[in-house]
Amino acid sequence: MDFTIRAATFEDCKDISRMILELAEFEKVSDHVKITQRDLEQDGFSKNPFFHGIIAEVPEHLKSREGHTKIGYSLYFYMYNTWKGRAVYMVDLYVMAEFRGKGIGKALMTKVSQLGLAAGCTQLNFTVLDWNKSSLDFYLKQGCWDVTSELGYHCMRCEGEALQHLAQGEL
Amino acid sequence: MANFNLRKAEPKDVPDILRLIKELAKYEEMEDQVLITEKDLLEDGFGEHPFYHCVVADVSAEHQKVEGYSVIGFAMYYFTYDPWIGKLLYLEDFYVMKEYRGFGIGSEILKHLSDTAVKNRCSSMHFIVAESNKTSIDFYKRRGASDLSLQEGWRLFRIDKENLLKMSAEE
Repeated sequence: MDFTIRAATFEDCKDISRMILELAEFEKVSDHVKITQRDLEQDGFSKNPFFHGIIAEVPEHLKSREGHTKIGYSLYFYMYNTWKGRAVYMVDLYVMAEFRGKGIGKALMTKVSQLGLAAGCTQLNFTVLDWNKSSLDFYLKQGCWDVTSELGYHCMRCEGEALQHLAQGEL
Repeated sequence: MANFNLRKAEPKDVPDILRLIKELAKYEEMEDQVLITEKDLLEDGFGEHPFYHCVVADVSAEHQKVEGYSVIGFAMYYFTYDPWIGKLLYLEDFYVMKEYRGFGIGSEILKHLSDTAVKNRCSSMHFIVAESNKTSIDFYKRRGASDLSLQEGWRLFRIDKENLLKMSAEE
């Protein structure tokens, strides 16, 4: 299939926002999405971006049923591992259903790996839901390993009221 | 109660930060995994585009319990992004030397970090804990943290440099 992978721009935020919602629906949690197109524009395309993005695009004649040419994306940022140093974290990886099975997801992930290596990173980290068998299989085939299984690492979160209480020094 | 001071790390703290990183790795039985050097920490934390931020806890000479060490705790963090809820504070490492535990230093560090998260309009603080580390898990759960791996099925995945290189070299 004919497609290109390129860096996301401010103008892509509308489609990125659309696809974030599609991915959230796939993960059965679309009511969790609070981020808007405007937040993405501010947080990803101002002087100190909190994330970077890449887009998979198809030519006009291959556009989706609903007329979209931007049909996949990945959001990532740079992080730090105190044992190995610079690392890249892939936050989202998504290809619209009708464009899957054509190597686009792999191409997006390859691009993130290249960008990470170019920035001096030695690791690519990301999270996957344990029931997402097709994604788990895809990642294991690329040479990834499950840190949660092998090292027993659990992802933890402190948010909302709990975070506020903690900031005020309350237990 | 130990008298301590919590402050932003400076380049001169790098040797102590590396010492504490190695002590924490030893506590997690992974000390041979630490490949990072003082040079990496200096470049990556105090250059033009820092990959991480760090706070240290230090004690004055008359309160030192371990001779020669005034920096007795640290926390390393950075800002990350969740496409559903926006900016997050990610706590990468958090450690207080054994001799200084039980004095509220850890709680004070966590309070400072939560405060930093709230001030920077982060909706959540994320971090990873090994499931075998019961003391730490209890410490965090008492402060309102939830275990995303258990509750939502998130598994942390990783690709190491060798496989990153393989992937990035593929057409």
